[in-house]
Amino acid sequence: MVYSEECDFIFRLKGILEFACQLDNPNGVQSQSTISKSFQDLRSKVTSKNIVFTVCNSPVLIWPNTGFQSSVESLTEASACGDILQWIESDDGGSKKSSKKKDKKKSGPTVVNMKLLFEVTEPAGNTAPSLIRVSTQQHCVKMPLPLDCALSVTTDERLETVCTGLVEALNKQLADMEEVVLQYRKGSSFLVPQPFHFQLPEPAGLITVVYPAGVPDSQLQAVREDLHRKFELPCDRPYLRRANAFHFPDAAYKDGYLRNPHIHLNPPNIEDAKLYLVQGVYSYHHYMQDHVDDNGWGCAYRSLQTICSWFQQQGYVETAVPTHTQIQQALVDVGDKEPRFVGSRQWIGSIEVQAVLNQLLGVTSKIMFVSQGSELATKGRELANHFQTEGTPVMIGGGVLAHTILGVVWSENTGQIRFLILDPHYTGGEDLQTITDKGWCGWKGPEFWDQNAYYNLCLPQRPKSI
Amino acid sequence: MGRSYFVDEAVEEYLSGLQAAPGSCVTGLLAGQSSPQRDFVVLAVQTPHRESEGQLKAPKGVSPLDDIDVEWVTEHAKQVSRMLPGGLCVLGLFLVTPPELSKDAQNALKRLIFAVEKYIIKGRLWELSEEDVTDRVTLHICSKTKKLLCKTFDVKDPKSSAKPADWKYQTGISSSWPMLTCSVEVDLQIPVTGSSSDNTDKCMKDGLRRWAKQIEAAYCLINGRQALDDSELISGQVKTLSFLCHVDSTFELRHMFEQSELGERSSALVQVCSGSMRVRGVVHCRAYIHNNKPKARHAAQAIKRDIINTVCSRVEMFLEDLCINEGSQKGLCSGQQALPRRVFAPMPISGLSVCDYMFPDESTADVAERLKEMLDCETPEEDIDTIFSIISGFEITDSQDDDSSKHVSEIQAENPKIQKPPKYYAGKLF
Repeated sequence: MVYSEECDFIFRLKGILEFACQLDNPNGVQSQSTISKSFQDLRSKVTSKNIVFTVCNSPVLIWPNTGFQSSVESLTEASACGDILQWIESDDGGSKKSSKKKDKKKSGPTVVNMKLLFEVTEPAGNTAPSLIRVSTQQHCVKMPLPLDCALSVTTDERLETVCTGLVEALNKQLADMEEVVLQYRKGSSFLVPQPFHFQLPEPAGLITVVYPAGVPDSQLQAVREDLHRKFELPCDRPYLRRANAFHFPDAAYKDGYLRNPHIHLNPPNIEDAKLYLVQGVYSYHHYMQDHVDDNGWGCAYRSLQTICSWFQQQGYVETAVPTHTQIQQALVDVGDKEPRFVGSRQWIGSIEVQAVLNQLLGVTSKIMFVSQGSELATKGRELANHFQTEGTPVMIGGGVLAHTILGVVWSENTGQIRFLILDPHYTGGEDLQTITDKGWCGWKGPEFWDQNAYYNLCLPQRPKSI
Repeated sequence: MGRSYFVDEAVEEYLSGLQAAPGSCVTGLLAGQSSPQRDFVVLAVQTPHRESEGQLKAPKGVSPLDDIDVEWVTEHAKQVSRMLPGGLCVLGLFLVTPPELSKDAQNALKRLIFAVEKYIIKGRLWELSEEDVTDRVTLHICSKTKKLLCKTFDVKDPKSSAKPADWKYQTGISSSWPMLTCSVEVDLQIPVTGSSSDNTDKCMKDGLRRWAKQIEAAYCLINGRQALDDSELISGQVKTLSFLCHVDSTFELRHMFEQSELGERSSALVQVCSGSMRVRGVVHCRAYIHNNKPKARHAAQAIKRDIINTVCSRVEMFLEDLCINEGSQKGLCSGQQALPRRVFAPMPISGLSVCDYMFPDESTADVAERLKEMLDCETPEEDIDTIFSIISGFEITDSQDDDSSKHVSEIQAENPKIQKPPKYYAGKLF
């Protein structure tokens, strides 16, 4: 079994197969077997000799079901799959720019994208062409099946093994799709089965689940419960909601926000200390984004947006990250502020953050009060526990500033502590280099805090649901 | 600077052998291949005599030029186009007139060439690309002096005027043109909505058009390499030809869904149909490419067009035949019927082949008769290559002597690892 953490490559094979069938009577007993027959035909197709894999942006073509043939002589079944890389033309026309700072980390496995093709010039038989006409009234069903298979492998894995694995994955996915189609069909109404990939904790690794399109997560609770049992996943946090789907390293986020800029930093090397970090994925929200000029007053709002983005991307909520106006309106709605608050540039603090999280997301939070900034250095245990159990970003407000704490490095013995801070006061563009180089996301010591000011921390709690 | 037409000597022989009744005109077609630099003419065929249905038509106009049966000339052109394998097409017309009509001949030729082009492209499932040559040649021959006047018209532009062109005779123009062959599996499921025969035709056309787009977009591999770029195709070295179609059959689905919707579509498209049609089987395709520095992608285009044409022609012929036999009842009957099958025959002298389609109740004698009528050439029945004879899993063809069959045995020696049973038909290995 390949452990995903060690994997160097993800081979991803995509293709839209057309599902078509003719039903005489969609509500009749025959229809199920007609549908199954169509799926059976598709499965035969993908295990036939005529299936070809093409590696995107390369001249490589592989016939996986013919004792492995490839269009490139040097790539044989025994080749290490890493050898494929030399044939792929990358978009940036060369090796990636190496980062200047030595404390930048590797960005994860390389994704090799492949597409599915069929050879039509290798007919299995030689039947002369004929025209078959059926003149009974039928329901003609057509539906795209968006096949998407992914396999995590190490660089020395044989190419043949990868291809065989992908063919098996195609077969299995078609079987899963058939199950979903049959389960959610009502007469002649069919829902498109959509595959989602999830990166589960070891040993499961990268798995794929097929969900029916259009059925919201809330109605798929029972399916998730079964899967949680099957993969022995904790029953109190989501792993398999659509929002939890694995984000492939080569895919850009369409909304343009940076995700987890902190992973590009190396934590400080403190003797005897342990690392406690935010779990999962958040987006970096800061001043001036979304054409809102909140320079000087919006820092707590931005920290709150970062927290909301975390709950959305972990699958707890489906609502979008709220705007400043929506945040203000929520506070008016709970009676915390007067109506004229909406549209103003008034600051908010941890208590307001807690109120909004409750009102808009149904999330409860704990408030931690610190009477002096210097005391924060003694809160190592609480923060460590928080990141271990809840793992949510923490909003901290005090003095005249608000920040987000994403983690701590803390030694239980010596009490030494460092804080991983995400600073919402950044006014520039989504430039990872600048943000990490200039410390807008960075590790700070206890001296970072105003030693005399008092601070309130808002620690959001994960809802217990899957 | 006009176009240059390199014409096979066999054509010269044919044209000089034409007999025109005194004072009358002879029309005919010229066929071959165009390339951006030059054009090649390998076949000339006079318009066959039309058997008038009973009454003798009185001459309509003042001159025999007006008597030219435009409809018949265009119909002949269409029939001949169906008989030409990929890469070859009707390139133009010739007109033999007595000296006194030579002046008006140009107008007649212009009228004819535009009419022919218009009729030929009707129902065609692929579009001309920017690189395709749209000039067509008109050749006027004076019956007394035998003088030739060669001009071209750009059929893309109805207002275009005649441009001068060169007409040069050469021997063996096409004797070493590489032949590309492949067999393609076709399996199209086409729903039929509505019940009239017009509906059936339209649904079939739409279905075929979508399939044609899939073929046009397919990857074509020549000798295992993609024929995409301007790399040259070296004559005689075409060993294998394959087509890989995208399994992403969005061409099929785009008809059903808006393109943008395709990714977000959450439910299937269901149509209530009055029936369906399925075209299924293996078609044999053939194309020729000239040997004046041809590019790989032109070869790919030629064979792709042949694949599309052969399926389209067979279906068209079948439906036409059905219309005649079943009349208005078409579309109401069910069952499986064989589509006309393709046969190949050698073209007079040039070393290339032409094709024809045989209905199930026909024989090679019928084919020979049609070849005589449409292409004005005698073909011994034993030369008609019916291809589809299968003997114990091997496919054997009596193809005429060409380079490709020699290559097959060479290839087997080079690639002992390939495990599939060797097939002996020209141009293809695994």
